[in-house]
Amino acid sequence: MSERINRLQIPMEELTITPGSACQGCGAALAARLVFKAIGPNAIRHRIPCCPDSTTAHPSANSVFESGGAMLTGTWRGLKAIGRTDVQVVGFFGDGGTYDIGFQSLSAAAERNENIWVITKDNEAYMNTGNQRSGATPIFARTSTTPVGSVIKGKQMRKKKIAKIFAAHGIPYIATTSVGYPEDLIAKINYGKTVEGFKMLIIQSPCPVGWRYDGSKTIAMARLGVQTGIWPLFEIIDGEKFKLNYKPRELKPVTEYLKPQARFRHLTDENISLIQEDTAKEWETLLKSDELGRVLL
Amino acid sequence: MIGIRIHGRGGQGAVTASRLLADASFRDGKFSQAIPMYGTERRGAPLVAYVRIDDVRVRERELVHEPDVVIVLDPLLSKEQSVASGLKKGGLLILNSKLPPEKVEIAGDIKIATVDATKIALETLKRPITNTAILGAFSKSVGYPTMESIEKSIRKQFPGRVGEMNIAAIHRSYEEVTPVVQATHTEPVVEESDIAVGGYGVLKDVSSWRVFTPIIDLDKCTGCRSCWLFCPETAIQWKDDRPEIEYHKCKGCGICVEECPVKCIAFERVVV
Amino acid sequence: MVGNKATATAVKLARVQVASAFPVTPQTTITEYLSDMVANGELDAEFVNVEGELSSHVVVQAASRVGARTFVCTSGPGQLYMHHPMHQTSDNRLPVVMATVHRGNKGMMPDHTDLMSQLWTGWMQFYVEHNQEALDTCLMSYKIAEDERVRLPIAFGYDGYVLSYTAEPVEIPDQKDVDDWLPPYKAMPSILPDEVLPENLGGRWDRSDPQKRWQEHHEAIVNAKDVIVEVNESYGKKFGRSYGNGLTEEYRTEGAEAVLVAMGSLTGTARAAIDRLRDDGLNVGLVKLRCFLPFPKEDFQEIGKKVGAIGMIDRNVCLGHGGAAYTQIRNAIYDLEERPSVLEFIAGMGGKEVRVDDIYKIGKKTLKAAKSGGVSTSTEWV
Ligand SMILES: Cc1ncc(C[n+]2csc(CCOP(=O)(O)OP(=O)(O)O)c2C)c(N)n1
Ligand code: SF4
Ligand code: SF4
Ligand code: SF4
Ligand SMILES: [Mg+2]
Repeated sequence: MSERINRLQIPMEELTITPGSACQGCGAALAARLVFKAIGPNAIRHRIPCCPDSTTAHPSANSVFESGGAMLTGTWRGLKAIGRTDVQVVGFFGDGGTYDIGFQSLSAAAERNENIWVITKDNEAYMNTGNQRSGATPIFARTSTTPVGSVIKGKQMRKKKIAKIFAAHGIPYIATTSVGYPEDLIAKINYGKTVEGFKMLIIQSPCPVGWRYDGSKTIAMARLGVQTGIWPLFEIIDGEKFKLNYKPRELKPVTEYLKPQARFRHLTDENISLIQEDTAKEWETLLKSDELGRVLL
Repeated sequence: MIGIRIHGRGGQGAVTASRLLADASFRDGKFSQAIPMYGTERRGAPLVAYVRIDDVRVRERELVHEPDVVIVLDPLLSKEQSVASGLKKGGLLILNSKLPPEKVEIAGDIKIATVDATKIALETLKRPITNTAILGAFSKSVGYPTMESIEKSIRKQFPGRVGEMNIAAIHRSYEEVTPVVQATHTEPVVEESDIAVGGYGVLKDVSSWRVFTPIIDLDKCTGCRSCWLFCPETAIQWKDDRPEIEYHKCKGCGICVEECPVKCIAFERVVV
Repeated sequence: MVGNKATATAVKLARVQVASAFPVTPQTTITEYLSDMVANGELDAEFVNVEGELSSHVVVQAASRVGARTFVCTSGPGQLYMHHPMHQTSDNRLPVVMATVHRGNKGMMPDHTDLMSQLWTGWMQFYVEHNQEALDTCLMSYKIAEDERVRLPIAFGYDGYVLSYTAEPVEIPDQKDVDDWLPPYKAMPSILPDEVLPENLGGRWDRSDPQKRWQEHHEAIVNAKDVIVEVNESYGKKFGRSYGNGLTEEYRTEGAEAVLVAMGSLTGTARAAIDRLRDDGLNVGLVKLRCFLPFPKEDFQEIGKKVGAIGMIDRNVCLGHGGAAYTQIRNAIYDLEERPSVLEFIAGMGGKEVRVDDIYKIGKKTLKAAKSGGVSTSTEWV
């Protein structure tokens, strides 16, 4: 499991090349900065189409949107073949490239337990193309393909529990984290760097444009997601051992997270109660998992 | 035929302005074309849109490289020499600016009219969105499209109360725009900068993205590193155990201001 | 040795370091041969068993980029499924080698529509006649693709069933000779963190002239003809076998009034037909079109000067356009002062058997056009 670090242990060296071309207050731009700080320079960064987040000073390889897992696999096997297993193979992908179009090839790479990093900046929609829904979009959220119409209002399906889905592949390490908790994020990368095999990190990365809140509130939004239990921070080792990394005595009500985001403005009280119930139920499961030290679905 | 270029930034509605202008011209019996910048729009990033207006159907698909009129929606961009780039000799620059045209430092054999569209927008729409307000100034300075047609186009685009607020804004700017005068300067006073437009990859200087600028009061700073840690653009450097802002990297998102636990980062509206 | 075994053997001889493929008839047995070779330690390579062809393609694309020699193979539907990343592989100028064991786009049986559907992907394409040529072409492909003047991926195709599962004698070169002839592969430019050029960090892009990439890519393919000719020659010197000039190969064209042009395994059948035509005193020769991309335009201009008619037998059809090679040949001869007639024959589609007799008739018809003209030039479905 990851070992807690404090702020002073966060590396000072920056590996991003800035200023980048992400929007003002982009959570994913911060996610990239923090991730690659912790990964360090000896890595090849892999890209598939997505928002620009932050460019980092790494050699870069890119391929088609649907191929994240295969691209990382190819690089890893190539490095093995030429005797350069010291180089880390890191994919930094969007939720679309992870939950949806890239899912098949990632699942296969997980099954083969390739020695790679899959890091997802989860902004809960296809932002690069202008905020269309993805498998990561939460229930009822408004996106440009789940609009608030007179008959149907927002997305009608729940978000995929992607961490548990990948944990079910039995991979050595998967964790969730958030740009609101950089110490947690970096501690998890530090731990993952000691693990050989398939490592995955799902990072909550608020997007002011798609979620519709003021860009200065990106960190505040990330924290509220965690503090309301909507975005729990946990880690799973070998598809089994479980730890909940953030456990407040009491969760904040989900409205504190939902209200400031205009993508949820149309929610009815009924909608909100459903989200509250879902969250409470999942939280109970997570607490239980934490107690047992074993993941429960 | 006249060609128009509109400068704004992501989120300010430059594309909507171009469509309204084209739509209103069409209502006046002209042919028109509204072209958005190709590529993806990023909030805060400067961008351009183009319009062509003609008596016959517009067929060409080039961008407008030598506009007759340039409209600048953003008060900060209204200080940049580069907004006049390519503008035809004798062409017209309509700026969103508090300054009278005589005081504008943009040089060239061009004419200038100014209007404080931000003030008008804040007073009529309660938001600094200037894309409609500026259209009244255009109608007055250029002579078309007619205000009736612009009104119709706005009502179609924004039905209801919002539309009426926008219509109030265009009438104010019609009244308040200054007369068109010859530019005071013939030689550039401010250096022509590369107005950083969006896209992908690394940019040089994003100062022009800022509407607000963070300013750290080091006397009150406790050295907690929050601002450094959360700045997405590494605009805050850590030097001698104190934060220091590198302004060419700062997009003015306000995260540092929000995250400073002792509230010692002021967020000042950029003076124009 | 069957065609698929010949290919797998060439992969082993080339000391491929990363291979990936997904089973699809009639390519499947290559994946099995390679798996066996790796499992038995005969081939020191990573053979990646993926979940689909698109992934197999991207695996070798990425491995090639870090500096591993790679191989991928497929057939019909798999070929179509991996279309998307093929563009990236060529755009990144990666010398991946691919075997396409032809299976047409309508059904299980062979024609060339699977690989022909990739014409716009920026790959070089070879069509081979027999199992020996499959082995030899595979080895030559690495030498051509990795040449610093070229650096482009190559696909070589051979007809499914007809070659993939048909056994015939194949001479296997000595490993030591192959090692002498084919130096190890090195990626250019390197993307290893300690070797990458500072200006390439971050994968920044140059947006100044988006069309330049297309022009350079196109010119690189066209200019690769010289290297193909060179490699064919040096292969001949080293191993005692070469194929015409590497691009086209002529058979009994001396004094011919007309020639037929064939691709892939049909060429073999055509040879037999030519022999019969010649026996019957009919002056018809044969040209094997081996390298389709880059298209050997100059070769056909030379041939066009000497004969009165060319009969192209396409085992493909661009629906609504016609045979792909026919169109190119007509294009090539247009510049000649005196142009021969060019006749279009479409044969072997969907695996329809093409017999010596069929080609004999094509030969006669083409000869008639050469002698008298007056033959309909509308497409003939054989
Ligand atoms: C095969 C393919 N389909 C669609 C696209 C268009 N496309 C580019 S990025 C993108 C969405 C990316 O969403 P996500 O992975 O969540 O990343 P984000 O943009 O949110 O950072 C889409 C749909 C593409 N590039 N390739
Ligand atoms: S749309 Fe959202 S995720 Fe994309 S760059 Fe802008 S803020 Fe970042
Ligand atoms: S305003 Fe935003 S970009 Fe500027 S220094 Fe603060 S956090 Fe960084
Ligand atoms: S957040 Fe505020 S107190 Fe902390 S280092 Fe920055 S300016 Fe100083
Ligand atoms: Mg996304």
